[in-house]
Amino acid sequence: MKFSQAMMAVAAATAMQFAASPSAEATGKMKCEAGPQSSWKSRNDLEAKLKKDGWKVKKSKVDGGCYEVYGVTPEGQNVEAYFHPVTMEKLLVAQRGKIIFKK
Amino acid sequence: MLRFLNALPLFWAILAIPAAVMLVTFARDPVTAFDLVHPSGEFSVRMMILAMMVSPLRAIFGRRRWLDWWLARRRSLGVAAFGYGMLHLVFYLYDMGDWGQIAEEALIFSIWTGYVALLIFAAMALTSNAASQRALRRNWKRLQRLVYPAALLIALHWIYVDGEWQDMAMHLVPLLVLEVARLIIMFNKRSGRTGQQLAPR
Repeated sequence: MKFSQAMMAVAAATAMQFAASPSAEATGKMKCEAGPQSSWKSRNDLEAKLKKDGWKVKKSKVDGGCYEVYGVTPEGQNVEAYFHPVTMEKLLVAQRGKIIFKK
Repeated sequence: MLRFLNALPLFWAILAIPAAVMLVTFARDPVTAFDLVHPSGEFSVRMMILAMMVSPLRAIFGRRRWLDWWLARRRSLGVAAFGYGMLHLVFYLYDMGDWGQIAEEALIFSIWTGYVALLIFAAMALTSNAASQRALRRNWKRLQRLVYPAALLIALHWIYVDGEWQDMAMHLVPLLVLEVARLIIMFNKRSGRTGQQLAPR
């Protein structure tokens, strides 16, 4: 009985966590409407620009029509960041699912 | 020959194959640590699921030879879950490579849930031997039951790190279905018994 009560407490704590932090806190994939890929800037250009700005890029790919970059910010934070493939504007930065920047 | 194939050490060797592949990959090129964080964590969860499945399956199917075989390997699967969890941690720490940042991230919900789950795994793995079982008596089972909150923490860890729930659900929903079936069976048995007790003589 005590054990089931403990489980109830854990379940309640979980529910509260979900209630307290709206699902928006998990990154939820970013969407970009950027037109045909032929008009996009290249991923290499984006990586080069980020490196110049002091980022460390571990990996990049296309996700939801945006460029998604896994890397380290100039401040040293390990993040997952989304950029617009045409304007190269920074749209969203999440540190382990916690959003630390949103346009 | 069959006895050799069925021996525990061979089973351990099979469980260790993915770890061996990951370690070789890492040794060849440490930069791959970033790519190995996810698979090592997934294997930890898979081992945990395989270990956890035995009890609900026994509740559903009763005593079966194949379930006895599985049960005899549950401890190996549980310890393997801890092993892959540690590998997951090591790849993560290596990829981070900065203690300040590691400390900063430890406070994020998606990360501390993982640490707590791994601590539970550690306690369970360290007591996964006959001597601890004797020493802890009834508390041993209580301690092992911490796997349920650990599984919940891992589900949250996975969702919040990924920012999506599909991969987590693909792994953990089958186990959840089994556990629900087991609860229904337990509930039916219990209410059946109280029904008899209440029946007039």
